[in-house]
Amino acid sequence: MIQKIIRFLRGYVKIRIAGYSPERFLNLCSYHQIYLWGLSPCENSYEMYLSLSAFRRLRPIVRKTHVHLTVVQRAGLPFLLRRYRRRKLFFVGFLLCVSLLYVYSGFIWDIHFEGNEKWTDEVLLEFLAEKDVTPHMRKKEVDCAGIVRDIRKEYNDIVWVSASIDGSRLRIQIKENDDTFETTAKEEEKPNDLVAAEDGVITQIVTRAGTPQVHIGDQVKKGDILVSGRVDVMNDAGEVTDYQYKQADADVYADTQMEYEDTMDVSYRQKTYGKPSKYQVFLQIGRWRFTIGSLKNSYKEKEVFSAEHQMKLGENFYLPVTYGKYEVKPYTSAEKKHTEKEIQDELSENFIQFSKELQEKGIQIQENSVKIHIDQNSASAKGILYLNQKIAEKADTEILEIERKNEDESLGTDN
Amino acid sequence: MKREAEKESLKERLAAAANMPKDVVLGAPVVTILGTGEMCIENYRGILEYTDLLIRVQTKGPQIRLHGKELQIEYYTNDEMKITGRIESLEYIK
Repeated sequence: MIQKIIRFLRGYVKIRIAGYSPERFLNLCSYHQIYLWGLSPCENSYEMYLSLSAFRRLRPIVRKTHVHLTVVQRAGLPFLLRRYRRRKLFFVGFLLCVSLLYVYSGFIWDIHFEGNEKWTDEVLLEFLAEKDVTPHMRKKEVDCAGIVRDIRKEYNDIVWVSASIDGSRLRIQIKENDDTFETTAKEEEKPNDLVAAEDGVITQIVTRAGTPQVHIGDQVKKGDILVSGRVDVMNDAGEVTDYQYKQADADVYADTQMEYEDTMDVSYRQKTYGKPSKYQVFLQIGRWRFTIGSLKNSYKEKEVFSAEHQMKLGENFYLPVTYGKYEVKPYTSAEKKHTEKEIQDELSENFIQFSKELQEKGIQIQENSVKIHIDQNSASAKGILYLNQKIAEKADTEILEIERKNEDESLGTDN
Repeated sequence: MKREAEKESLKERLAAAANMPKDVVLGAPVVTILGTGEMCIENYRGILEYTDLLIRVQTKGPQIRLHGKELQIEYYTNDEMKITGRIESLEYIK
């Protein structure tokens, strides 16, 4: 392959040798260290390739051996240049291409981020833009150490940054601190009660902190205190001497009820799309917009779809060029009615979905009395769900002041 | 003639005794055949005849005669040539 390229660059010719003793010609060539290749016999003559510089040394050998030499083919760069030497614009274009390549390679064309999960490319790009680091900046002006410093200063949870220039791309590698995803802030030590979030009958209660106020089988209303965050401190006489306030913590399950209702229309409009859709394609450069096709129509009912794409170079260099397509679809609509079976299927499907969502939240459905009613215009699924669920909800504890009796103080001094 | 043959055998014995490569000392042709389609000849004097059925090559010793089909000389320099094609027979002619 390399040999072929070298041959092409230097130029080579294919010649045909005919005459009394072409073999002698070949032997003389090898004696004069002239390299021949692709030698093939061809009706009392030989054809072969040799390089342009070797061809220039051939004249004395040809004379000596009295052979007849014809050039069959010329190939290679020197011949190409000679053939196209009058095409000045071609050379101008070539020079322009080389110089543009040189100039353009002096710019950053793309910014590439690696290793970022929490901070998205867009956020980081915006931040870098504030620091005047953008695609299309000059490569010389890029201060990698400065970028690293800025990012480290701005984002605390980015623990390691490396910025490097990779050709015409600025590569920024980031290592984020995984620990910051967890909430490290301490929970407030404010005391709280647990109150009922809904009406119901308590079925189970497990208290870990606080004083339970209800028992299994109690009927509670929304807002009733279930577990108090206040713990009484008693003295030997069984009197309350002080209160300790805690964050109440308990699992409280209760049987609750919930109304369920889901309605749907019996009738619906069915769309049938007509055939000739109208298309318009556009290309927008800056403020200029070129369109092909027209959206003019006299459709009564129609849907318009549009899609728009912004062109970008590489990953993050957006150009002010957008292209896209509009489509107008005509349709005719007709009123239709669902059949009874369809209604039933859809409403039960909805109900099953709803039950699943409840179960995912940890709520058990013990019983339901949901029934489907179909009227002339609408259909509904209605009923009551009997559930068993956690009903505790946090609420602030009322802080009580202790009434201190004067006797207590005198008692203390007596001893 | 006899003297020449004697000289030759003396050279040969000398080369064998000194453990020297014979292609260098005696100018013996080195023929390398790869499969049936490729052949290299080194240490030759020149081409005597070349068609796509027969190639004759002169060496310092005997003449090499190569029969085959679609024979072609891939390249050709002062000390080595490479022949491709379907090789059928190779003869040495004194």
